[in-house]
Amino acid sequence: MFDACQVFCGATNQAKVCWAKMVQTMETINVSLLTDSERELILNVLHRDEELRRLEEQRVKRLKTELLEIRRKGAKRSSGNYSERSCGRCQEPLGRLGSRTNQCPACKHQVCQNCRSVRPNRSWVCSVCAKEADLKKSTGDWFYDQRVNRFSTTPGHDIVRASLRKRPPMKKRETVGEVLLNSTELNSSQTLPVPRPRLKDLAQTNRVPSNEQLQRSDTDSERTSLSSSRADTHSLHSTPSLQRKGEVVNKSSPAGSAVSVTASAPSKTHSPSGSTSGTETSSLIHHINPCSENFNDVDGLFKKSVRRVHKLSDFKPSSVTDVRKDSTDVTTSSMGDRSKSVPGLNVDEEEEEEDIDSLVSMHRKTVGRSTTSLRSSRSTLGSMTSVYSEGGDYDTVDVTGEIVFSLHYDEAAQSLSVMVKECCGLAYADAAKKKCNPYVKSYLLPDKSRQSKKKTAIKSKTVNPNYNETLKYSITRSQLMTRILQLSVWHYDRFGRNAFLGEVEVPLDCHDIDSAHEECVALKGKATNSLAPSAFAQYKGELVISLKYISEKKTPAEKSRGKKAKIDNGGELHVLIKEAKNLSAMKAGGTSDSFVKGYLLPSKGKSNKKKTQVVKKTVNPHYDHTFVYKELSLEQLKGMCLELTVWDREAMSSNDFLGGVRLSSGAVRLKENKHEWVADSTEEEVSLWQKMMQFPDSWAEGTLQLRSSMGKGM
Amino acid sequence: VESVTADHRFGQRDGSDQNFDYMFKLLIIGNSSVGKTSFLFRYADDSFSNSFVSTVGIDFKVKTVYRNDKRVKLQIWDTAGQERYRTITTAYYRGAMGFILMYDITNEESFNAVQDWATQIKTYSWDNAQVILVGNKCDMDDERVIPSEKGKHLADQLGFEYYEASAKENINVRQVFERLVDIICVKMSERVDTDPSIVSGAKTTRLTDKPAQLPQNCC
Repeated sequence: MFDACQVFCGATNQAKVCWAKMVQTMETINVSLLTDSERELILNVLHRDEELRRLEEQRVKRLKTELLEIRRKGAKRSSGNYSERSCGRCQEPLGRLGSRTNQCPACKHQVCQNCRSVRPNRSWVCSVCAKEADLKKSTGDWFYDQRVNRFSTTPGHDIVRASLRKRPPMKKRETVGEVLLNSTELNSSQTLPVPRPRLKDLAQTNRVPSNEQLQRSDTDSERTSLSSSRADTHSLHSTPSLQRKGEVVNKSSPAGSAVSVTASAPSKTHSPSGSTSGTETSSLIHHINPCSENFNDVDGLFKKSVRRVHKLSDFKPSSVTDVRKDSTDVTTSSMGDRSKSVPGLNVDEEEEEEDIDSLVSMHRKTVGRSTTSLRSSRSTLGSMTSVYSEGGDYDTVDVTGEIVFSLHYDEAAQSLSVMVKECCGLAYADAAKKKCNPYVKSYLLPDKSRQSKKKTAIKSKTVNPNYNETLKYSITRSQLMTRILQLSVWHYDRFGRNAFLGEVEVPLDCHDIDSAHEECVALKGKATNSLAPSAFAQYKGELVISLKYISEKKTPAEKSRGKKAKIDNGGELHVLIKEAKNLSAMKAGGTSDSFVKGYLLPSKGKSNKKKTQVVKKTVNPHYDHTFVYKELSLEQLKGMCLELTVWDREAMSSNDFLGGVRLSSGAVRLKENKHEWVADSTEEEVSLWQKMMQFPDSWAEGTLQLRSSMGKGM
Repeated sequence: VESVTADHRFGQRDGSDQNFDYMFKLLIIGNSSVGKTSFLFRYADDSFSNSFVSTVGIDFKVKTVYRNDKRVKLQIWDTAGQERYRTITTAYYRGAMGFILMYDITNEESFNAVQDWATQIKTYSWDNAQVILVGNKCDMDDERVIPSEKGKHLADQLGFEYYEASAKENINVRQVFERLVDIICVKMSERVDTDPSIVSGAKTTRLTDKPAQLPQNCC
């Protein structure tokens, strides 16, 4: 039963501002004690396991496709006129017996004798329901689904893999403080799984969240957010002014989006919020322009509380995929989270079985430590991006109530109508003042673009709003099968922050979209977005760069002596952006118009930001552009961090984030304006940076995996 | 060690066999040197070696069994008993449908640790995971320090099934695995067959109207 709460552990808050905090950490395992050969052995096992899981995944997919076929063939559609007396499966006329006796107890269809299947307990269900039951067994969903949290099913192999990927802290160049920090964290994670008999009773009663359990759910949520971080940033997208705000806010949110730093392109000053300087430290509210879209979901901007018990501050989401030997592996990298890549039959159903309220409250206890998902959408005119950023603190918003809606697919018009009828029993955004002006927003996930976003009107001062509004999507049926309808309810606040009131996600691949019957679904806390097909999203491509530190060129003698960096106050850092490979395609035709932006942090002024030209219509662009940063000493560079981000140029709106790298000499602590964060460079990033410093006046070239998020850890 | 690598290849081949109905993931846990790896080797390859090689972290084997008219593919994870690998092994608890919790009847310490292992299962595993307690090395009756009644009693206390077995003499090895498969099957049927509502997607959505009047609302 306890597991049920984990559905919400990965839940995230939503924020509509352009900063976003990405997962920096997840539970990693202390593998520093392992020898290289041990690591090798374990990796070997993991590879075998991965192969097995890949096969299994294929099998499950195949089975589910089969079922889907049967299901579509059989079920009555609202479009057709069926006789009450025809079998819901084969459409043959039914006998004269009463309708009760013909009804499948599971799906309530009237079913003829031939379309029945007797279950072991001698009751019967219709052939499709029987097939579904069998499928639950053969896919293992009976077991995995009851986990309820389809996101936290990330099994051990991911963690172990991630941990192995992580370099032991000993090898890192870190400040003493960092080393200490890491080592204590390692210690705490190490002691965690040791049997604790004294907890036995607690653990057995299972309803009482023991420390250990909380830790478990906590780590699960971290893992969850890891997968979400890998998943969705392909659409990440930002606005400069808000990013600036993001930086400001970062004081309270340990890891603001690096986007905030990297994205102040002059081309994007059309933000309605205007530009704000990074010096403002007041709350975000001041920055929000009411007419901007940012305004809507801002309440997600909760402070993130860092109560994580054993976080390792330098875990890199991107590194998880790095273990795999080549890019083709990426398709399999999500295999661990089977329910993520395979459409669940009815992934939500078990959630219903649980007491949602208790789950939510359970969740609230743990979600504070959960990390982030990053979502975004293309901006509309006057309405900027929606980056869903989860801070994790739900204390102010109690998700309650239900949403009533109906779906209908019009075959002729190729359009899906989402009729949002009403919500009932919503939570007050401000319980004390009884404030609630709810509206409903919909997306056809994974598309979070402008085309996908629809909103209802805002209803004032009610927790039982009546909308009766139809949101229409033009989309083919086959496309629709790959989508998830997300309906989220938001409180609109003219002067304050908007509040997230709950959401539902309806996977459309196995949902009846023909009958237009009304459905009433309980709202849930913010789920992570891992439901979105993410197998490819996490792989953002690579960036090929060369770094060279040119030591001060006053005299040749000094230059040669400068090898080991004695006198280099006036040196230059040259960053040659060669090319990017396999970028995400953002434009029609599977291409992107990309450019690279560079920041050397901590920023020393406006000259800091560099950009390449835009290379159009390719996902493998050659930039061959050099950024030159002047007046730098090697000593300085040791404490600095170079962030390179790749963007898809959008002429009429904000650019889309395609990925980035963060070069530094390890867990460098950086101070920007008023907030501090720790660079979380990956092994490759660190080694390239160090190579550059180690060998001045020569090029250090490297191919770096683009990370899907530039979130900053504290 | 050579046999291990050879066996990996075997495992691989067997693993790619897609001709099965169900796939179960099992985990063998217990103190170091109680015979987990031997137990698995005996079952999967019908082999036994007296030499002791400590398992590094984790390993697994694949075996397909035929039970109750179904082919069940088992992915059996063998875990290191040593404390230093604990973080790795516990990560594999989730997702495991069945556990074999093993102690050595000639080693009191390993028996005393059963309680702790059970706690670990409760803490890290998913609900509905089934557990069998196995007292291994029952061939070494001369050195026995844990009477089988004691094992049985503890198993009852913990709500697990109980077997004494010997990987060396091939006593009860197959039986333990098959019993575990059986009780997982029972659990599975419980979950899927007895509750018709779990079968369909109907539970996802609560209808505002009476469901019976909306025959379209299915699947």
